[in-house]
Amino acid sequence: MPLCQLAAGSTGRICEINGDESFAQRLREMGFGEAALVTKISGSTTSLCHVNGTRIALNHDAARSVLVELLPSGAR
Amino acid sequence: MILPPHIALPAKKRPVAADRTPVYAMVGNPNSGKTTLFNALTGLRQKVGNYPGVTVEKKIGEAFSQHGRPIKIIDLPGAYSLAARSPDEAVLRDVLLGRRSDTPQPDRIICVVDASNLERNLYLVHQILDLGRPVIVVLNMMDVAAAAGHRIDAAKLEESLGVTVIPCEAVHGKGLVELRLAMSRAELPLARHRWDIPAPIAAAVADLQASLAQNDGRLPLVARAEALLLLTDFDTVRVAGSKPLCARTHEILAHWRARWEGEGTDWSATLIRSRYDAINQLCTGVLRRTREEGPSLSDRIDAVLVHSLWGWLFFAAIMAALFFSIFTLAEYPMDWIDAHMAALGGWVKGVMAPGDLRDLLTNGVIKGVGGIVIFLPQILILFFFVGLLESTGYMARAAFLMDRPMSKVGLHGKSFIPLLGSYACAIPGIMATRTIENAKDRLVTILVAPLMSCSARLPVYLLMIATLLPSTAVPATTKVGIMLLMYVLGTVGAFAFAWLFKRTLFKSAPPLMIMELPPYQRPRLKEILRQMIERAWLFLKNAGTIILGISIVLWFFTTYPKNPNPAATPDAQIAYSLAGRTGRILEPVIKPLGFDWRIGVGLVSSFYAREVFVSSMGVIFGVGDGEDNTAAIRDALRSAKWPDGAALFTPLVCFTLMVYYVFAMQCMSTVAVVKRETNSWRWPLFQIAYMTGTAWLVCFLIYQTGRALGF
Repeated sequence: MPLCQLAAGSTGRICEINGDESFAQRLREMGFGEAALVTKISGSTTSLCHVNGTRIALNHDAARSVLVELLPSGAR
Repeated sequence: MILPPHIALPAKKRPVAADRTPVYAMVGNPNSGKTTLFNALTGLRQKVGNYPGVTVEKKIGEAFSQHGRPIKIIDLPGAYSLAARSPDEAVLRDVLLGRRSDTPQPDRIICVVDASNLERNLYLVHQILDLGRPVIVVLNMMDVAAAAGHRIDAAKLEESLGVTVIPCEAVHGKGLVELRLAMSRAELPLARHRWDIPAPIAAAVADLQASLAQNDGRLPLVARAEALLLLTDFDTVRVAGSKPLCARTHEILAHWRARWEGEGTDWSATLIRSRYDAINQLCTGVLRRTREEGPSLSDRIDAVLVHSLWGWLFFAAIMAALFFSIFTLAEYPMDWIDAHMAALGGWVKGVMAPGDLRDLLTNGVIKGVGGIVIFLPQILILFFFVGLLESTGYMARAAFLMDRPMSKVGLHGKSFIPLLGSYACAIPGIMATRTIENAKDRLVTILVAPLMSCSARLPVYLLMIATLLPSTAVPATTKVGIMLLMYVLGTVGAFAFAWLFKRTLFKSAPPLMIMELPPYQRPRLKEILRQMIERAWLFLKNAGTIILGISIVLWFFTTYPKNPNPAATPDAQIAYSLAGRTGRILEPVIKPLGFDWRIGVGLVSSFYAREVFVSSMGVIFGVGDGEDNTAAIRDALRSAKWPDGAALFTPLVCFTLMVYYVFAMQCMSTVAVVKRETNSWRWPLFQIAYMTGTAWLVCFLIYQTGRALGF
């Protein structure tokens, strides 16, 4: 499911990044690449996520292009 | 010792190291503390803050080695990667690759790493090691890392990388001696770290490297690094001063891209993954997490401050506190300055014989410059608040909150950081747009940033509010309300024009935003105070030189030629003067707004800077004034009349004037910065036209409607 739909507090694993190439590249360079674990802190349109110990904000369009698979709670 | 080929090679480009000053570049991720370290080493006072994009241009400073020899240090904007996506990151890339003709290519590189986020910070270090330069890795913020439960074995990292690694806490001055010692060494070890370019792209890198070395004159190792970079850098971001690559290199690049696209190879992802694999390997044994990461303090604060309801309430509360302190706290220092200015004027009157010189001093200098200086406390309060927002890390949160409203006009939340900064002054605001990736979005942000009410408008607003509501019986809330209205008007105007420009002139796909929110920090009051002092000095210097000059020139124009009738009233004198005669040519244009030619002279003179309006009013309405010319400007304004005896500064006119200053482009420095940042006269001229045009139109509507309604 797209990252924007991940519920606050839950954790997912990134499986695919679509859309604009240079944007996808920057996400990966920031450690926000495939297989990374993200925890959503808050937000439905603008998302605030926890990845590798940093807080990253993505706007709606950006969060829509990141696909994650939901991990069962406590998996992190 | 045999030097590696890229250092030994072209003797003409690299004179013997002993007789020249070594050049260090300071690089690292945004918010890793580069500028703090730079200031500590050089003793300079560059602005530091807790939001990405404080440093957007290179700054060169000088430090001294342990042996007293000078060392040059270039502080560069923060970046996540050498593959630049925005103009500030392009500065870093181009300086490191020697593409900038105005900057020496650095001999050595200091990589500042935020130790609390080792892996991601090492990504940039990894790219930089490819450059084959001597590198010093500074593990900054070791205290923050320790508090988060990260144990970092610096010696082990040094061993596996092969370069000098120095643990450090720049804010507390820890590790600086060790760093200075390392920088003083005649020779630094080169990276031992070997990393194999992933097989699918190795051939392309070899091709590009050969062409770069042959056709673009790059040193072998730089050629390799740049070849790797060209594959991930879409080279869309170019800044003035960068040399272009030759056609052959472009050809090779296009060839490989086409081939991979056909094969379906994702070369950029492959490259990044292989770097991160190498980094993860490096980190095993170096980084140990002593405890599981739970939500940090910053996370808990964020749960409130970026909350869709509490976050907005907090934002509103900050703004309200700001405006109230401008009106209530500033009163005491203002009264003090006001009293002293009045006493000074009285003293000059007492000791000097009446005449033109005394008139120049009391009316030109004291009324003009003094009228402006009394607003210094308010301006400083504003800078204190903005400094507070910048140093705590709240700026990025405000940008986060604003992302949704900003997306409605076609921009993203990051554009709000320059806009928020423009409340203090549009110039740093416009500079901060360099962090915006999309060129069109950046231009739109630059065009609307001066609509945010800056500190120079404060004196105008305050003078008009004082004229409108002179009584101290009026509660501060009413005055704050009027002022808030002006700020809201400017902000709404900025959003509306951004929306309009994004739909017409600068159509582009909705922008994708990725923004790191830095951890909260306790505000660094010393730093804020230093910025306020700097600002106060700038303000006073400006008042003492240029505004003084404008006031004197204006005094001259309003005093000469003298009215032949010695008994002429002050009004008749000024009408007879040069300013009066030229002012009346202008009057037809502004009369529909309720302004007479005297206000017109103020508008024209304040094109240099908005606050000049206040000094000009002081001069114009003070000229030829009788004995009682130490009264406040607002009283002079209140008694000003049209020739037919009607009051000039009616409440409606005061209000309209404020609105005029909300919209009109009245700032030479902003024009100059926009010209530089957009590299053409087109945009600053367009900006003047659309802003001042809007100001006229809106004021016309307000004044005429107000009149029709009987105000």
